[in-house]
Amino acid sequence: MSETTISLRDAPSKGRIYGYFVLASFSFLLVSTTAVAQEYRSGWDVVESGTNNDLFSVEATEDEIWAFGEDGVVLGSQDGGLSWSHANVITSSDLSMSDSGFGSILAASTDGTVIIKLESTSQWADISFEIGEESISGVSLIRNNSVIAVGSNGSIWKYESETWSDYSVSGVDLLDVSFLDSERGIAVGEEGAILFSDDGGVTWDYRDSPSEASSSRIIDIEFYSDIRAYAITDNGEVLKSSREISTQVGFLWNMQYFESEGGSSNLGANLTSIEVATTNKFLLSGSGGYLSMSKDGGNIVTKQLIPVDNLTSFNDIVMIDGFNGITVGSGGTILITERSGEDEQVGFEVRDFSEFGGFVDYSKGMLIDGLFATINIVLFGIFLGFFLGITLSMMKTSPLTLKEIAEKRSLNLVRLFGALAFIVGFMFLNYLVPIVKGLGLDGWEYIYAPIGIINPGGITGDLQFENFAYLIFGVSLILLGSLFISANGEYKKSERELFGRTVLWNPWGVRPLNFIATIYTDIFRNTPLIVQFLFIHFGIQIGALIGDPAAELLEGSTGFIATFLRDDILSNRACVSAIFALGLNSGAYQCETIRGAISAIPSGQMEAGRSIGLNYMQTMRLIIMPQAIRICIPPMGNEMVNLVLNSSLAMVIGYSELTRKAKLINAVTFQVFWSYGMVLISYFIVTWTLALILRYLENKTRIPGLGISGGA
Amino acid sequence: MKNVLSIVDMHKTYPGGVHAVRGVSFDVMEGESVAIIGSSGSGKSTVLRCINRLIEPTKGEVRLRGEMINTPNADINDVRSRIGMVFQSFELFAHLRVIDNITLGLRHVRKMSRKHAEREALQVLEKVDMLDRKDAFPGNLSGGQKQRVAIARALAMKPEVMLFDEPTSALDPELIGSVLKTIRGLADEGMTMVVVTHEISFAREVADRVIYMDRGVVAESGPSSIIDSPQTERLKKFLSSISEED
Ligand SMILES: Nc1ncnc2c1ncn2[C@@H]1O[C@H](COP(=O)(O)OP(=O)(O)O)[C@@H](O)[C@H]1O
Ligand SMILES: [Mg+2]
Repeated sequence: MSETTISLRDAPSKGRIYGYFVLASFSFLLVSTTAVAQEYRSGWDVVESGTNNDLFSVEATEDEIWAFGEDGVVLGSQDGGLSWSHANVITSSDLSMSDSGFGSILAASTDGTVIIKLESTSQWADISFEIGEESISGVSLIRNNSVIAVGSNGSIWKYESETWSDYSVSGVDLLDVSFLDSERGIAVGEEGAILFSDDGGVTWDYRDSPSEASSSRIIDIEFYSDIRAYAITDNGEVLKSSREISTQVGFLWNMQYFESEGGSSNLGANLTSIEVATTNKFLLSGSGGYLSMSKDGGNIVTKQLIPVDNLTSFNDIVMIDGFNGITVGSGGTILITERSGEDEQVGFEVRDFSEFGGFVDYSKGMLIDGLFATINIVLFGIFLGFFLGITLSMMKTSPLTLKEIAEKRSLNLVRLFGALAFIVGFMFLNYLVPIVKGLGLDGWEYIYAPIGIINPGGITGDLQFENFAYLIFGVSLILLGSLFISANGEYKKSERELFGRTVLWNPWGVRPLNFIATIYTDIFRNTPLIVQFLFIHFGIQIGALIGDPAAELLEGSTGFIATFLRDDILSNRACVSAIFALGLNSGAYQCETIRGAISAIPSGQMEAGRSIGLNYMQTMRLIIMPQAIRICIPPMGNEMVNLVLNSSLAMVIGYSELTRKAKLINAVTFQVFWSYGMVLISYFIVTWTLALILRYLENKTRIPGLGISGGA
Repeated sequence: MKNVLSIVDMHKTYPGGVHAVRGVSFDVMEGESVAIIGSSGSGKSTVLRCINRLIEPTKGEVRLRGEMINTPNADINDVRSRIGMVFQSFELFAHLRVIDNITLGLRHVRKMSRKHAEREALQVLEKVDMLDRKDAFPGNLSGGQKQRVAIARALAMKPEVMLFDEPTSALDPELIGSVLKTIRGLADEGMTMVVVTHEISFAREVADRVIYMDRGVVAESGPSSIIDSPQTERLKKFLSSISEED
């Protein structure tokens, strides 16, 4: 046998020099360019209000906008806020709060003055009532002519059928109230008080606020939807409640930590109100000319430019739709926006922030954080992917057929199993029939049924993975059962007529493990990774499903690894989702790579292993896999580099890895070239290190005398 | 003499439809060495593979010491460990050193401790005269050395019968001698064996019995003397074609 071998790669040292060269040229490019940045202008425009009184509150209905203020001033606009006119004054109290909904508009003053305008009328009606020593600080409509008001010392009043009744709770001063519908509402107040009602404001239960907010004044609450509620405190904190797997909105409250504030939970502004535009987009107003917005649920909150002076205090914002909005403030200020108040980029120009050293000083901390975040998901993703890849590739190459499974058993046993499988499968499918019927599908739309049966109740319903399992088991058990019932001891191919042609079909030759693995890899290789990220994080919520319980298991552990896993990995839901998305996806690709390597091992190796009495799994584990893995180190390197690069997609689920950090740095410094350039270098360092490790491994595990891995 | 291996009316049809073996029967007695000769494609390898069920015979019985081994109920891994097999292309485990190639089966099939397995391995290596290369990787051995390690690997399991499938066909002529010498040594020690070979002189000198296969059937069989005085035309033709090659 000839001992000459072909070297498949360049010598390692050459590769290293090449790496340094790339690194050097990147760095050169970065420092040698002039700093460029965009210029921004405010997304808000001033409109004339016709008053100098302070405006406190603003509401929008389908075709009207109303602003309320000092000394009972009421302004109305019918052209989307461009021009305003005074309504007839019916009170002289400061109208400091308002609400709209169910076709009605409501405004109120702390002294008990309440005015309401019903849908069908054009006049304001006075429904004020006597509140004695107490004061009102929040109102909310719960039907077109029904109101809940909250105030000092736990006061809660309900206006219904033209009378006010008292449903006060004992406790702290309440500051605001918001109802989602006629039943469900949340009231907030001093000392982090959060109360929940689901009977239209008659009974209220205290909910736990996050411990960080336990002494804060929660001044504004917006019960936005079935899946999200936001609240703010006057010292600059945002609280958020989301629908969890099986818990309604309003029950669990979390503190929002702001990436844009270096992970702090405090925006450093005196907030006055929050306006939620979409589930993840909200605007904040505050004193001292503060207007800001977030498009990602509060991860990044960017302060926006304003077209008026910094002394203006903004008191309320209303969004007419997702983009058009109005804010009102002190001294009769009314601003209007068509772009959610987001700063407008007006052009490029050379900016002041032009010293690269200063820029790096500012951004390096964030970049290193991002780098570690990326490395976290990449490492765990690689482990998960490799484990899956090995398992799946073994399943795919497994030669075990249904024939072999059946052959070993007596015919009666096989048939009995077939009958049982058929019955169980039928019961599973039968259970699903009403659920599938309830989906309201029609014709070809049934291809979407698998998704429908997992989540038949929509956003407020629980995920019912067991239904999907029933579907899969039901179909497979019925098919398997029918086949096993038909067993006659021959386990042969049979000929069937199909469209006038005879086709040979061989159900006994089906390899069940291969079948399962093929379905898995086909799903993950035929759908976009970004959709997998979104589906796994937002759809399945794997972070809450797996990460939370796992973190709980480690509760109380003090070991270094256990605390790291618990605090840095498992309790970060986006991180868990990212690891799974990357790992599950990469597993499908690694499976194919490893399978290729397995099939490159001569079949004689399997025969030799079996001939000394090793069983199939032993032969795979001791003989085939050790050689296959060595063969596939170079292509596996590609898979791992792909995994690193794909990890940048984790930013779509809000995981603050490198790419997301770059966007963030960019949002603050406007240094587009520098921020993305530095991220490129960071990625290069990670993948290049990985490549070096793999190259080292390849050399280390090379089999002496075997041409396949580069020669001796 | 006891009957070690007994094959009765073996048939094998490959999935593609090739009817490679069409009713082969023969017995191998304790201590006997049987040579199977025949032109390429006549089904010799198929018969050997069917014996330890690396492939399943379509029909027929294979008995090891009277026990039927080609039923789904037979413990196939145990059966295989009692039958040693040596391949034409060696099939050493390239990622393992020579010694580990041999201890693998002892440790994982015979469940011996590493130490015990290594002691056994050294003994068989000595037998095939490969003791000095025990720490080499297969890739660094010559063909003849590889095949002797492969023989040692099979021997280490203390098989009741050894099957050789053209053990020297992949070797350069000058390397054949050492392998044949090893096999001959085994035969002399009384190892029961079935050797598929093209080395006619080897068959004549070493085999107790010769089986000539042609197109899937046993065309002629008898003591090794049939090589010198073939009874059938087919064997005559085959023998002359081989001597022409030499
Ligand atoms: N795996 C296989 N699939 C289909 N046909 C095969 C296979 N292996 C061998 N054959 C065919 O079976 C016949 C016998 O082959 P084989 O037993 O290898 O012959 P020999 O070892 O005597 O040269 C040949 O015609 C060969 O082409
Ligand atoms: Mg052959």
